[in-house]
Amino acid sequence: MMGAAPAYTAVPARHTLQQPPPPPSAAQPPKVTWSPAVRLYVQRAFEQDNAIPGIDQKAMQDKLKVIITEAAESGRLEMIDWRTYPLPQHMIKQEREQAALYGAQNAVVTNMNAALPPTYDGAYSPPPQNQRKRKSPDTQMTLAEELDTTPPWKKNQITHGLEDRISGKSKAQSKKQKKIENMRLNAELSNADALQRRRQRFGHTPEPSPYLSSHEDSPAPTGPVVGTCETLEKNYFRLTAPPAPHTVRPLRILEQALDLVRKKWKNDHNYTYACDQLKSMRQDLTVQRIKTEFTVKVYEAHARIALEMGDLGEYNQCQTQLRALYKSHLGGKPEEFVAYRILYYIYTRNRTDLNDVLADLTPADKQKPGVQHALRVRSALAAGNYHKFFRLYDEAPFMGPYLLDMFINRERLAAMAAICKAYKPDISVHFLAKELSFYGEEDQDGTSDADAGARQCLDFLCQHGGEHLVERKETDVRFLCGKAGALFENARAAAFRGVDIKGQI
Amino acid sequence: MDSLFQDFAQANNTLNGYLLATTISPVPPHSDPARLYNFSRSANSYSIQTDLRYKLQYNPDIQLDRKEANAWLEVYTAFYSFVGTLLAAEETQNAGRAREADWARVYDGWKEVVNALLKGYQSSMFAVWTIPCLYTAGRYLRVFAIKADESIASQRDSGLAFGGIQEEDAFNPDSKHEKLEDAARQINRIFALCTSDRAPLEQSRKWALYYTATLLFKTYFKLNSISLCKVILRSLRAAADSDMPPLAAFPKAHQVSFKYYSAVIHFLEEDYVTAEALLTDAWEQCLRTTNGASKNLELILTYLIPTRLLTAHKLPSKALLAPYPRLAALFDPITSSIRAADLTAFNAAMEAGEEEFVKRRIYLTLERGRDIILRNVFRKVFIAGGFEGAKEANGGDGTPTAASGSATPLVRRTRVPVNEFAAALQLAGAEVGDGEGGVDGDEVECLIANAMYKNLMKGYIARERGIVVLSKAGAFPGTGV
Repeated sequence: MMGAAPAYTAVPARHTLQQPPPPPSAAQPPKVTWSPAVRLYVQRAFEQDNAIPGIDQKAMQDKLKVIITEAAESGRLEMIDWRTYPLPQHMIKQEREQAALYGAQNAVVTNMNAALPPTYDGAYSPPPQNQRKRKSPDTQMTLAEELDTTPPWKKNQITHGLEDRISGKSKAQSKKQKKIENMRLNAELSNADALQRRRQRFGHTPEPSPYLSSHEDSPAPTGPVVGTCETLEKNYFRLTAPPAPHTVRPLRILEQALDLVRKKWKNDHNYTYACDQLKSMRQDLTVQRIKTEFTVKVYEAHARIALEMGDLGEYNQCQTQLRALYKSHLGGKPEEFVAYRILYYIYTRNRTDLNDVLADLTPADKQKPGVQHALRVRSALAAGNYHKFFRLYDEAPFMGPYLLDMFINRERLAAMAAICKAYKPDISVHFLAKELSFYGEEDQDGTSDADAGARQCLDFLCQHGGEHLVERKETDVRFLCGKAGALFENARAAAFRGVDIKGQI
Repeated sequence: MDSLFQDFAQANNTLNGYLLATTISPVPPHSDPARLYNFSRSANSYSIQTDLRYKLQYNPDIQLDRKEANAWLEVYTAFYSFVGTLLAAEETQNAGRAREADWARVYDGWKEVVNALLKGYQSSMFAVWTIPCLYTAGRYLRVFAIKADESIASQRDSGLAFGGIQEEDAFNPDSKHEKLEDAARQINRIFALCTSDRAPLEQSRKWALYYTATLLFKTYFKLNSISLCKVILRSLRAAADSDMPPLAAFPKAHQVSFKYYSAVIHFLEEDYVTAEALLTDAWEQCLRTTNGASKNLELILTYLIPTRLLTAHKLPSKALLAPYPRLAALFDPITSSIRAADLTAFNAAMEAGEEEFVKRRIYLTLERGRDIILRNVFRKVFIAGGFEGAKEANGGDGTPTAASGSATPLVRRTRVPVNEFAAALQLAGAEVGDGEGGVDGDEVECLIANAMYKNLMKGYIARERGIVVLSKAGAFPGTGV
């Protein structure tokens, strides 16, 4: 985020209908008036020599239409020097390069894609609206906008078109023509460069960072809002402009609101409601730049509820914020959430992140029982020690079981793969149930029935196609694990193949 | 200014790219340590353009096309103002006010130089022999960005920067690498400039690809965004499929560093086989150099040792590590504990080295050395069990006698009670206690099952009888028994 970035994404009001070619309307001047210069320009656009590989006719035609209609609408038809005006295909190319330039991280990929057949059509549209606007403001401005915002350079040079400003030199026609041709020859990258210079003139930073681009055009930050709202409940609404103070709740109201949401959550367990309320609270805190222990509480509360409901998207958002908040030592329960983070990376099997978490841990962190438990889970799994892992599963603190449940089945399959390879010829299902932590539903008095666990274990074995290998021997139920090796090896491989990562930042 | 343009002229006349690159280097050549200072003094910002134009266009030693001269003019104009900021920063630093040195401005100044250069290439003004200039450009982007980030951080810490500690930091933990992130984007532009070059190979900027890719890897490693490296690798692979010179045709230095970094990327992805091949290649190429690239060798070994531990269960010898005391200090406790099959020592070594291992991202791999220790413990039990038949004759001490050996081929005792493994594990320091002073037999079985699953041990567990039945032939593959 930039300096004092507001907590909303500014979405400028649409000034112009810039996309698909406007439907023919009465406002359009009659068709007959195209001047020879315009007709020549159109001809030039269709010339085979001017075609750019990768930009198909259709896209070019659409663009051409837009250019001419817009010029006509804004009354610039006569003002534009059509002989030197960039051809539609060049504009499209520029736009694409521009898009590539923005995704600096993806730049390479884009370049690679240049060799592939284009997937763009005429309606190519980079996601954020303002990016596109920045690209070619002069060709896409409406008349009204132009009247009151025409910058000086434009007034002077409007007849010289784009290339002239790129070359930035002589105005003599012959020389200019030469330059243009030159530029077209090596158009590909010099365009991007010229655009960059132009952007500089517009006062933009030369290389907009992909991380920041969405904030670039937002109005100068006005400082934190001080809320005056007295209502406890508020629905979440994604801001697109600075919020009005009367819609924002101050800290004291938010504190009551949190209690209310917690109470309601306990009673109704309505996740949609709770999530919505907590999001709006987070927003109110952010716009007021409140960063206190209470902020931590709100994020923790939301993270826990999201975790309980398996909403990993929200959970991850909260975790990211919490990680930063804990760094400022505002209180809260870092132990609990560091433990969750470790367990989560075990789940996603992201070694790089896991390594980073380990690097982040301080010796003091490692002394905390919650963190120690998570670390022991990690090392048990790393060693393939399923026995220890399932014992740790049974004694996970906090809401650890919710996270562990996300991958418990995967680990059961891994354990089965090892067991099937090692034990011959068969094995007691009761033993399996114990090793794999199948306990059945716990009774009211906390004791669990051993047979219930065995039944669950049988279900698990059958689910993975092992029913024909179950045998009853005297008093015991046995599983012919010696013959199930391939079965569980395949199931294990499938379970480890992909982890769907939602909302991970 | 004269010495600089003498070199420029000579480089142009002999098509010597590396010499040319020294003329825009932020580090003056050894032969002329005062070059930057003199260059800065020989003109002022008003006349610099004219002076440079004179040097470039009307210099009898330099025959340049007017457009090319203009492109160089832009480069050197940017370079001139950059040198100003660089000298100012260095002066402040040398005056003992390191904190006030404005490295961020130096970085921005250098970026302008790079921009001017890129522009020259984009408009095809600069021929391919000049690409060492791109190396210099990318290399110092990274250097100055790191310096800038460091100085910004130290200014912030000391409250020198405006507003003291910014509150936003709490929400934006990554801001400490702002300039380096920008540098990564700039280097990526260089990379894109090279991949997109469609000129025939002998004139292609693709010759700069591996160098630039390596720079990007370094930068991404520092930024902790390893995943972005994969994007680069993928695009290199795509380029290699079309028209790219083979890696072996590139300068050795490019080859070795590229192999090293891509090996580390594979290592982190747990593709140890590829990593081993690349590291071994890099190692051998490095060994062949005469100037003793010992720092590179040390880096390669840092990853090659854990890789070999995993792929071949091989440990480095003392002799191998002898020339690298730092590596020896790092790995010796681990390797000796594995050799002795001592889990207690191994755990202690892992804990002691954890910080360093995590920093080098080898902790998670080294940890798997535990498997080897367990295998060795089990193997010891098996060997101590002696031979069938020989047991009675020798009172169970396990030494085969010549007499029993001559009758039938010796067969080791293959039925080993789980209890014996449990005892050995306890002796070795494994945490297999049941919390009440006894041994958790299920966990012992679990460890055995794992060794079998990982093909470190052949046989099966007969749980009801409480024994492990080991394979008669090669119960411990690859260890001679």
